[in-house]
Amino acid sequence: MTIDPYNAFLHLAAQPGTGGPVVGVKDVIDVAGMPTTAASRILDRLPEQDADCVGKLRAAGATIAGKLNTHEFAFGALTNSPHFGPALNPWSTAHSCGGSSGGSGAAVAAGLVDVALGTDTAGSIRIPSAFCGVTGIRPSAGLVSTAGVFPTAPTLDTVGPLARSAAECRQILETLAGRSLDPPARDLRIGVVTSLFEGADPGVAAACEAALRDLPGRLEPVTIPLHEEIGTITQLIMLPEATAVHLPWLRTRLADYGADVRARLLAGLFLPQTAHATGLRARGWVRDQYERALGGYDVLVAPAMPITAPRLDAVPPDYRLLVMPYNSPAALLGLPVVVAPSGFVDGLPVGLALTGRRGEDGVPLALAQALQERTDWHLRSPVDSGPANRLYTRPQQLRSEGEVNH
Amino acid sequence: MSESSAIERLREAAAEQGVSPTNEDLEATVDFVARILPALEEIERRLPPETPA
Repeated sequence: MTIDPYNAFLHLAAQPGTGGPVVGVKDVIDVAGMPTTAASRILDRLPEQDADCVGKLRAAGATIAGKLNTHEFAFGALTNSPHFGPALNPWSTAHSCGGSSGGSGAAVAAGLVDVALGTDTAGSIRIPSAFCGVTGIRPSAGLVSTAGVFPTAPTLDTVGPLARSAAECRQILETLAGRSLDPPARDLRIGVVTSLFEGADPGVAAACEAALRDLPGRLEPVTIPLHEEIGTITQLIMLPEATAVHLPWLRTRLADYGADVRARLLAGLFLPQTAHATGLRARGWVRDQYERALGGYDVLVAPAMPITAPRLDAVPPDYRLLVMPYNSPAALLGLPVVVAPSGFVDGLPVGLALTGRRGEDGVPLALAQALQERTDWHLRSPVDSGPANRLYTRPQQLRSEGEVNH
Repeated sequence: MSESSAIERLREAAAEQGVSPTNEDLEATVDFVARILPALEEIERRLPPETPA
């Protein structure tokens, strides 16, 4: 048996150590002495320094187990790099683990690590958390340093943890943020985003509706203003930023990108020069409307994704369009979102998204913790993830540094 | 506009920025561009002019 049957890792540490929580790191985040490839054929650097987030966890006693698979350059939601192969969903290896932090979701679900660091620009922590049945948080914009992280779209990028439980995510996020994220001492007013329940597959919606009964607080139906426009506005910001990051390589190494990432980076090239500025102004317009309509709510709840993980060989042709309404609002407005496991449909996990106000990351975390005190979805595991299957107890099976799992 | 002329316009726009996509690359992009440009125009039309970034 291979130690990583899910192709979750791109690179394993030679000696992951035996102390502290075992952490896997998405391969767009620098770890000193380990290559950063972003699951691409283009990026291949050997950083001498840890990214800020890795350094903080290491200083707190964490053990870094290795680098985790990602959608190429974290610019997609499937983690199916043509160069390194797809990360597989531990609940069913025929199914996607989502992305772009798919290796992070798979590694936590399979119990290969205690915690994984991921990045989320427009859903990349939330989607794999939902598809892999783990807990993850996209933090408020700016809460966690992105220094040492290869950018996707710099003004939208965030770094956050995926773990088994909200309590673990809180602990890691407090370490990353350098401050406590105290839970609120008030009754929560919770908005239920009805359109996102109505847009989800019936089984997914039913699982999430059942989870609502375990949330402490006052629940009220709400509507997100300008919801249809938010996806486009997010693209107007994200695409030009991503294309600007990659422009030198688009000129010299275009053929070395996978087809889907190449097409999206080219799309950014074809937007008018005013698009990004329009997107930034439109974000202010959305923020104003959102605050007026929803500023009185502590948390908004909705299915994290409208579907369960698709089969790798049958990804819906409109997958990207399916993803956007569920993930773009928080991406655009820099809001914190916790995804908590909330059931299964046909053996595949379903996640509930709990979106807080910007800067109040402790609120959705506390609500997710309350949910997890009343349910056990987050404790379900697709494999025997006991000590015998842990990376750090089986160092003889690790690949040495420098080896890459193709 | 026909798809072939749209692709030629994209090829010219790419060339102006020093990028040389293949026909296949442009065919993979043209539909997305055809969707997002009208959406951008609609947002520009509705966006209150006094809105700051």
